Amino acid sequence: MSQLSAAVGFGLITASILSIAAVGFTLQFSVTNILNLAYGDIMTACAFAAYLVNRLGVNIWISLVVAALFGAVFSMLLNRFVYFQFVRRGTRLFGMIIVTIAMSLVIQNVLLAIFRPTFFSYHTSPGASYHFGGMIFTASQLGIMGIAVVAMLGVHLISTRTKLGKAMRATATNPGLARSCGIATDQVIDVAWLLSGALCGVAGVVLVLNTATFSEVTGATFLVPVIAAAILGGIGQPYGAMLGALTIGVAGEVAATVISPSYKDVVAFGILILVLLVRPQGILSEVASAKEVAA
Amino acid sequence: MSDRAAPGGVKLALGVLAAVVLAACGTSTSSATPKTYTGTLTFASFNPFTGPDASFGPEMQAGCVVAAHLINKSGGVLGHQVQCVTVDTRGDPADAVPAAEKMLATTPNLVGMNGPSSDEALATVPLIDRAHVPMFGDTGQAAFDKSTYKYFWRLTPPDDAAGIAMAVYAYRKGYRRGAAVFGNDLSSQGNVPNLLSAFKKLGGQIVANQQVALDQSSYRSEVESVIAAKPDVMFTEADPQTDAAYLSQLQQLNGLIPVVGTQPTVQPPWGQAVGGAIGKDNLAKIYAGAQPYAPSQGPAWQVFNTELLASGSDIPQPDQWSQDPYTQTDYDAVIMMALAMVAAGTPDPTFYNEHIAEVVSGGSGAVEVHSFQEGRDALKAGKKINYVGAGGPISLDKYHNSAGAFEIVGYAPDGSNPHIDVVSAADIAKLAA
Repeated sequence: MSQLSAAVGFGLITASILSIAAVGFTLQFSVTNILNLAYGDIMTACAFAAYLVNRLGVNIWISLVVAALFGAVFSMLLNRFVYFQFVRRGTRLFGMIIVTIAMSLVIQNVLLAIFRPTFFSYHTSPGASYHFGGMIFTASQLGIMGIAVVAMLGVHLISTRTKLGKAMRATATNPGLARSCGIATDQVIDVAWLLSGALCGVAGVVLVLNTATFSEVTGATFLVPVIAAAILGGIGQPYGAMLGALTIGVAGEVAATVISPSYKDVVAFGILILVLLVRPQGILSEVASAKEVAA
Repeated sequence: MSDRAAPGGVKLALGVLAAVVLAACGTSTSSATPKTYTGTLTFASFNPFTGPDASFGPEMQAGCVVAAHLINKSGGVLGHQVQCVTVDTRGDPADAVPAAEKMLATTPNLVGMNGPSSDEALATVPLIDRAHVPMFGDTGQAAFDKSTYKYFWRLTPPDDAAGIAMAVYAYRKGYRRGAAVFGNDLSSQGNVPNLLSAFKKLGGQIVANQQVALDQSSYRSEVESVIAAKPDVMFTEADPQTDAAYLSQLQQLNGLIPVVGTQPTVQPPWGQAVGGAIGKDNLAKIYAGAQPYAPSQGPAWQVFNTELLASGSDIPQPDQWSQDPYTQTDYDAVIMMALAMVAAGTPDPTFYNEHIAEVVSGGSGAVEVHSFQEGRDALKAGKKINYVGAGGPISLDKYHNSAGAFEIVGYAPDGSNPHIDVVSAADIAKLAA
């Protein structure tokens, strides 16, 4: 029983990292309709940005802020100078996926060329351990969960309480109609990339805090569970992404304890397939659609 | 996770199929009279020189070139000078099969070869065997543990022997409760059966046996299960990122315990990743790893190393191979083939192949020799010989395998691998199934 509750606790940590990444991923997709498969590599690039700052003796939490800024600017520029050029020429969804895969390879190989094929770690300590009803967390993990809560709350407030949020939702629902209503959709798209990039940067750093070491492919290997969490919740639905992250994170850790570590991914992705069989649109997409209509 | 990693399934299957078809289409010719050779004899280094495993080829070719230099300086084999050529398999069966076919069809006076590696061995060994070319595979694959290929020889210890070496070392150190934490990939899992059985035979207990999914962001649940089993040692092989995450989370939740790893964990990327995650000093305190043993000392190694360092432009940066077990055994393989030719009185592979085993196990009264020149002179004098190689003593079984010893090394904080212990071939043979 104590191992099971510990596993739930460990699942919450994984879910926190996943939710930051998945919300960033799905937020950008909902507004721009670009399935950005370079997202994992941008996470890695941000982790390297934090690494460079951290090596100068800067605290890892300040380095995380630098990574978030780097991710925001990098993502926005990536859209402006690469993706948007294709969108403007009418490249369709499948074509854009190929473009993002190409960017993924470009980023990965540029990182490889700059940093060489080896592994890197941050100068940081996980801090003291704390026990909560059978769950064990280090100070660093509590920090990660705190960041996730703040990020989710921030996304919620921006989406529901600000004009920007309304503009983003309007652009996501019907960009043409939003434009004709006077919404500056290009600027809204820029902001979506900035927000998504910032979350991507944070996710990259907290992922490395969890794995303790990273290389040029670390983010890319994490992309599949990120996309799975986003799809499970309903692609384009930030709240769905949070729920999807929680499901995949906790299910994987509990499966590793109850069944076998070999079945960690099998169980997590088995749940994804089962849910999508029953609700192909994801867990929350209808709920969100109903709210959009009501609004 | 082996350093001679196995390739992907589909390509492998296609390669094997192609090899079988080609072998079936081939013709076999053998006669009672040795073939006559004129000119230089050729040994091939059949290994990846490009692709992900491009480092294998130069390592092999260095051994061949050193052997060829020494043979030629001694006057050659039966009056023939020898040379080494490279054949690039690209580490892929789909490329290796046509490369082998071309090598066999177009290489003049091809009398023997080093390779193939694990990347292409299953696909190409049948083809090369059919062509009657003696080959010294640098593959540890268990598929060749009981090989029936007449022309296949192996001085590289089998991958699954590493598991036994790990068990022997851990037991010697007084560890009795082992946790096996291996990646769920085929190569890592290849070590596990022999590790488990050997540790139990010795009197130890395996308290946890985990196949971990690779490159996860968290292994805390797995770590908790292992901690609950109270092991006093952890056996492992997984990719660097996986073991780094696993051990750093073990450090957080429990504190580190001694770790015994396989040969891939001795590689610099693994040390870099895990050392970065748990601290290099901590890694130095807890780690020991088993790798094929090349003593890098003794008269045969002195002969090899002196010539290697004097090889000039023929071998770039020769000192990097001085202590390389693969380069040393590749050197030994060429020397053994050359001595077998002398023993047979012909470079014809269909005749000298049968003499390969006897040059390293001449039986009672055999003269111990440490170089081609010593061996050739002894054979000419009508003596039986026992060639002790640069990589140490060689003992071939009926399947043409030399089990070999394993060296246990650690990690120093500077990243080097200091010697800790040796597990002899005899220790391993005692516990082999």
